[in-house]
Amino acid sequence: MDSYRDFFLYPGWLLVGFLTVSCSQDSTQSNPASSPPEVAQANYPHNNSTSPAWLEANEDGQWAMPAKNYASTRYSGLEQINRDNVKNLKLAWTFSTGLTPGHEAAPVFVNDTLYVVTPYPNTVYALSLDGSKKWEYKPGTHQESQGMACCDVVNRGLVHADGKLFFNTLDNHAIALEAATGKELWKTKVGDLKRGETMTMAPLVVKGKMLVGNSGGEMGVRGWLKALDTETGELLWTAYSTGPDKEVLIGEDFRPFYPQDQGKDLGANSWPPEMWKIGGGTVWGWLSYDPELDLVYYGTGNPGPWNPDFRPGDNKWTLTVFARRPDDGSAIWAYQVEPHDLYDYDGVNESLLLDLPVNGEQRKVLVRPERNGHVYVMDRASGEVLSANTYVPVNVTEGVDLKTGQMRKVKDKQPGTNRTVHNICPAAPGGKDWQPSAYSPRTGLIYMPHNNLCMDMHGMQANYIAGTPYVGSDVKMFAGPGGHRGVYTAWDPVAGRKVWSIKEDFPVWSGTVATAGDIVFYGTMDRWFKALDAKTGKLLWKYRVGSGIVGQPVTFQDKDGKQYVAIFSGVGGWSGAIVSGGLDARDGTAALGFANAMKDLPQHTDKGGQLYVFSL
Amino acid sequence: MSPPQEKCLPRKSLPPGIAAAGIWLICACSSTYASQSALQPGGPLAKAIADLFWGMVAIGGIILFIVLAMLAVALLRARSKAEPKPLTFTQSRNLVFVSGVVIPALILTVFVISSAAVNREIVAPMPEHALTIQVTGHQWWWEVDYLDTEGNHVAKTANEIRIPVGKPVRIALEASDVIHSFWIPQLNGKTDMVPGKRNLTWVKADRPGSYLGQCTEFCGKQHAKMAFTVDAVPEEEFDAWLQRQAQPAREPATENESKGRQVFLRSSCAMCHAIRGTSALASVAPDLTHIGSRKTLAAGTLENMPGTLSSWILSPQSFKPGSHMPATVLAGEDLGNLVEYLLSLE
Amino acid sequence: MFSPFSKSAAALSLPVAALSLLLLSGCEDQAALRNAENPPSPPVNRVAEFGPGTEDAVLKPHPYMDNRHAINEGKRLYGWFNCAGCHANGGGGMGPPLIDKHWIYGSEPAQIFASIMEGRPNGMPAFHGKIPEQEAWKIVAYVRSLGGLDKDLPAGASSRPLQDEAESDLREGETP
Repeated sequence: MDSYRDFFLYPGWLLVGFLTVSCSQDSTQSNPASSPPEVAQANYPHNNSTSPAWLEANEDGQWAMPAKNYASTRYSGLEQINRDNVKNLKLAWTFSTGLTPGHEAAPVFVNDTLYVVTPYPNTVYALSLDGSKKWEYKPGTHQESQGMACCDVVNRGLVHADGKLFFNTLDNHAIALEAATGKELWKTKVGDLKRGETMTMAPLVVKGKMLVGNSGGEMGVRGWLKALDTETGELLWTAYSTGPDKEVLIGEDFRPFYPQDQGKDLGANSWPPEMWKIGGGTVWGWLSYDPELDLVYYGTGNPGPWNPDFRPGDNKWTLTVFARRPDDGSAIWAYQVEPHDLYDYDGVNESLLLDLPVNGEQRKVLVRPERNGHVYVMDRASGEVLSANTYVPVNVTEGVDLKTGQMRKVKDKQPGTNRTVHNICPAAPGGKDWQPSAYSPRTGLIYMPHNNLCMDMHGMQANYIAGTPYVGSDVKMFAGPGGHRGVYTAWDPVAGRKVWSIKEDFPVWSGTVATAGDIVFYGTMDRWFKALDAKTGKLLWKYRVGSGIVGQPVTFQDKDGKQYVAIFSGVGGWSGAIVSGGLDARDGTAALGFANAMKDLPQHTDKGGQLYVFSL
Repeated sequence: MSPPQEKCLPRKSLPPGIAAAGIWLICACSSTYASQSALQPGGPLAKAIADLFWGMVAIGGIILFIVLAMLAVALLRARSKAEPKPLTFTQSRNLVFVSGVVIPALILTVFVISSAAVNREIVAPMPEHALTIQVTGHQWWWEVDYLDTEGNHVAKTANEIRIPVGKPVRIALEASDVIHSFWIPQLNGKTDMVPGKRNLTWVKADRPGSYLGQCTEFCGKQHAKMAFTVDAVPEEEFDAWLQRQAQPAREPATENESKGRQVFLRSSCAMCHAIRGTSALASVAPDLTHIGSRKTLAAGTLENMPGTLSSWILSPQSFKPGSHMPATVLAGEDLGNLVEYLLSLE
Repeated sequence: MFSPFSKSAAALSLPVAALSLLLLSGCEDQAALRNAENPPSPPVNRVAEFGPGTEDAVLKPHPYMDNRHAINEGKRLYGWFNCAGCHANGGGGMGPPLIDKHWIYGSEPAQIFASIMEGRPNGMPAFHGKIPEQEAWKIVAYVRSLGGLDKDLPAGASSRPLQDEAESDLREGETP
């Protein structure tokens, strides 16, 4: 590794210069940290975007799934807590999970009961609104699974549907519980630990089916989405992300918009022989569903290994947005966001389903803040890319050609075996990782918690051994231009530009929620839980919690009409692994290079999971 | 290199006869299966180099002859009684100018132009849709990938290259660890393989046959045992062969073979080697998907036969000290099944 | 199959110097390799007298202790067998760090050997039967050198990655 040290000594002044240019064009940098941006109040709603017509207009005060609704807007119509009184928000009660990994899950609230699932060992708790425990369920998750999860042993939440709770365990079991009692209804094993598979995602329940996907893109796993019968737990269909059309469930109805996505068995032919079997494309992120078009939307993860020299070809269908029929899983369209990924830019981020005007015409779109630093606006019926603008400094690509849908990559930024590329922006966790954004129809803005990170990347020999990591890359991340590592951005999806943003010292690794009280909530890794004015970004309230926040805030209303806000604290995840895993940052490549950017996090927080519930 | 010299070699130099015999033996052994002489060209590129060589030898020979002749004349004349007549200033200046500047410049110009012409031929751009073979140098073996005309990787082998006769073939060269150099003397000059870089060369064989290649940049302990063969075959035969190589490994046909596959998958073999079609897809050692169809083992070190394969698995260090392949301890029956399975993979 | 030595190859016969170089290159590590073929028998893999306590562990010699060649080989194997995928270059990730002072299952050579071969319950896979014992001991030697445990290592043989000084950290402060 001596040579490894040497190549970091070469300065990348030219690249810094390039960045300077690209940043001066990006107005993200114009606001000093946490200062309220100047936006006239009268400008709202900011544009003519709306939630889809099929979305229930009436707020029921519940929060039944992490994304709040099928359109994944994470918007609550509750307004008891609003811009004027949020400063009086008080802690109602807390609940400790006694666990130290990252707590990324969204609490779920139905019928005056709060349900939470913890990271490994994936215990489920049902809590009354006075904080008392109704029941708990321990799934007996296999201990060994802890060694298979790339980026902390997290879980991103459970779903309530028809009196049942649905969630996944790290050791690849999909489980349904009776919500009232916590009784296990069924438990189905859907993945194989021995091959490096784990599960961390929150499922989506659609038309009597529980949709689940796997994690393990760093372990040479082959990605899939499976549908289970919500009554019996029986496996209904499996849609692989790689391989021949038959196994990707590409059939007669498949109509991709762009020519590069059309062809037979591309999921196998765009790989060296057999490599698609260990090629990644895992489905560990967010799913959305449009009941009108009857399509489920999701994106697939990075191809494996990270070192691109080991997988020449387009590597379909990794980093691909799929639209599928929930009934049989058949693919209707697909769009490969980036063929032959170079930087671990998983395409698993949330798809917000909105209706907004494009060239004067109201279109049904999905909006995806991608890891590659672009917010994609796509026609959700056809898969056409309508716009793709950058929301963070990007120096490895030069934008998307909207005619061909192809990303223009910068040639000399391609890493490979025994080659080092300095100053890649954004870094592997992307402009935004899994942390989901929210949309408020009252302001017309999308609220994105995200990162500002760059990295150096060095390609090495990758060796596939089933059940062990398959990466082949040494990475070291560092703060992007400006020196701050996180940003909270209010984004206008119609104009395709930022309206205001708040700089945060650490990556904003929490989710966010927007409410009809015109406030937005998010948490920081240095232990602040914050409420902002949704229109101006002005900080209205903050609360210091016990450990850094990487969870997802939710808000709901009890039967007496009292509004609550709930969030997990408990630092961890990929960004917080340096604390939750006790890593040694003298080696900057620890935690796949994230530790290098987070060396000072242990000075701001220690580990430990706790649920916080606030009310007026 | 100096301290080990004293340990390894006797202080007294070898008698010249033994040394000469040793050299002859080494050279004789090195031409294992096929000729390795750049002077027996098998294709247009090597022929251009060989022609250049012979041309230079001829011109050099003529010059040597002239110089020797003049020396002889001078010596003979020095013995004669005749009083030497000194040259005038102009005469001596012209002599020095013509024989020391003009003639060498002419000769060197011919050499420079002809070698530049040969160089131009060797590095000429390839036809757009030539077959591409990617060769990666490892300590101490060759990884060989076949690409189709669209750049898709279709097959992977090791240590043996097969090309169609009469077709130009682009060779893309890479190295995984240290600098190696790729040389098929009968087909082209050598090209270095540098980690992190991709160098291109190309070959064309005019007649079918087996050509020997060798690493020609010292790359560590077993540099000498880093050879490969290039088999030029008729195009139809090549296409059929490539199609077979692109297939995953065949399923075991007998009980012993399927036991052998079990041994492969649960022992240390699967930590480094791949057999496509099984769960073993490691990539730090040669791909064994079609090992049964190869002629040699360990980059030309051993002939590929049941006996040598067993010995190689049990004790690679005896045949190729320093090789990265560790000794594998296997029960006799397991070893037999494993070898039977591996050799069935054709 | 063996064709006789062709006459034109004689014209290219190697000079004596090259010949002796070839002979020499094989000599350098013969001693180390002889050891590799016949390593001393490994110590008994008992982790501790009882329980996981490591406080009183006595350092027993292991086959490749302080052997620089073995440490280098161990480094290569550490990469090839994907140790680095979880433990990075010692800083950890999916697995615990190896360059700090905290050893969950003990830092004694036999304990590290047991961790590799038998696995550990929180996700460390067992490589018994997958990694030959000699290669595992080489990895032990490398891992111990990462942690700076074998004090009398020859100068420059420590593998600890001193990346604090790396260039990219300095860039953090630069505002374009």
